[in-house]
Amino acid sequence: MAGKLTVVLSQGQSKSPEKRNLEEDLVAALVMDSDVDVSLVPHLYDLTEDHSGLLYLRSLKKDFVLLSWSYPRAAHWVLDRMGVKGNIGKVLLEEEAPDEEEDFSPDLSSGEEDDESDKGIGALDIPDRNIYSIDLRTGDSCETVLQEIRRISAECRVETVSIQPVLTPESGVKVQNVTGGVESSGAEMSRHLQETPRRWYPVIDYDRCTNCMECIDFCLFGVYGVDVEDRILVEQQDSCKKGCPACSRVCPENAIIFPQHKTPGIAGAADDLVSGLKIDLSQLFGAPDAMQLAAQERDVELVRAGRQPPGEEKSEREDLSARRMNLPKDDLDGLMDALEEIEI
Amino acid sequence: MGEAFQFHMGEYRASIPCHLRYSHNHMWLQGDSHVRKMGFTDYAVRLLQDVYFLEWVVDVDQKLVKNQQIGMIESSKAEADLYAPFSGKVHVFNDQLMDDPSSINVDTYGKGWLFELESAFDSSLSADAYLGYLEENWEETQRKIKGQYN
Repeated sequence: MAGKLTVVLSQGQSKSPEKRNLEEDLVAALVMDSDVDVSLVPHLYDLTEDHSGLLYLRSLKKDFVLLSWSYPRAAHWVLDRMGVKGNIGKVLLEEEAPDEEEDFSPDLSSGEEDDESDKGIGALDIPDRNIYSIDLRTGDSCETVLQEIRRISAECRVETVSIQPVLTPESGVKVQNVTGGVESSGAEMSRHLQETPRRWYPVIDYDRCTNCMECIDFCLFGVYGVDVEDRILVEQQDSCKKGCPACSRVCPENAIIFPQHKTPGIAGAADDLVSGLKIDLSQLFGAPDAMQLAAQERDVELVRAGRQPPGEEKSEREDLSARRMNLPKDDLDGLMDALEEIEI
Repeated sequence: MGEAFQFHMGEYRASIPCHLRYSHNHMWLQGDSHVRKMGFTDYAVRLLQDVYFLEWVVDVDQKLVKNQQIGMIESSKAEADLYAPFSGKVHVFNDQLMDDPSSINVDTYGKGWLFELESAFDSSLSADAYLGYLEENWEETQRKIKGQYN
């Protein structure tokens, strides 16, 4: 088998000409590249169980590159939920970089973030392969993305040569490399582009999720369930109410992603891009707090579905948010003074 | 500008002019008719720091309900959605700020005005009452902001 790298392009949901142009340029260039196989699928998030794009993705057994219009963290966990698993391949392109002052909040954050990656319950049955997720929204040029793909392609070739049998023993019998009919020489491209309706459902980041069950308690639409090992699971994806991100706000670990939400923190941006730099002062200017907002959002959906919002639940929720707010009481004086010192 | 109260925020002292009235979401109101000029208080500006970007998501003369989202703001240290301080409608937005919002920092109680609002201005606060409101909520505000760094 020629060690070709598979590149899957997950199309944008909108038919925005800019997006389509970048997609077309990338595909045109990749088709001509003899080191890669290109495939097209609709937006990853919208793929249903029976979609050939999903079946194709599941058939991939080796490393692959995913180009999509979503945060890499979101794309990773969408794939994971679909049973397309792998380790996160290191991509050297910047995620949407914050514009300035990376130096802010140095000694303000107390040292509790050390082993944050150990916090979650983790994903199960990860095969020994890498999935390299590239976010197309970052404004990188076509050439920059192509360069990164070539770099990854080189990296993967080195790895597959040195580690002979790529299959993992752990998850039972695996069919040897059935690469969806895209294994031959020359310019090849597979397309799996049947129309898909837009979908809306939560995706769990198991590297963060602690299985606390707040979400299953909070959601009154039966979206969540547990698996045989009592791990939280997005069981009924399509019971979720379009546009409602309430459970994500309730999650204490910020482990619930709605990849299409406009707020980066909810859409799966990496942490340092979200909270590290800017304070959200919306509450100061009259925004409801996160728990109120979550309850509000959910209750709107309940009413829309002809159901009654729970009355007694609120106080319980307030307790919860109060508990959460009960962080060590620190003087902001120090913080304000620190702000002063950090000149822009 | 005449007399002003001072509110201590760490080393910084936010100035709260006595002749203005205030809203609970940290805006000042000037005048006493049914249409008043409004802008951010020094307290709000201190928390925001340098304002980079301001956008309104409602139109002039559109009917607004109190706490309805009306815009968003981004500064060197923060970002925030903005909400209607009172029910009513905006007569005019300060266009000068759209290209260069720095007046908000430089002349908070003057050229940094945000909009003129027509409203009954129910439950607006005197400078005195606003100061009390700030004192009452300062601990909680500090805790919330601090919480975002952890």
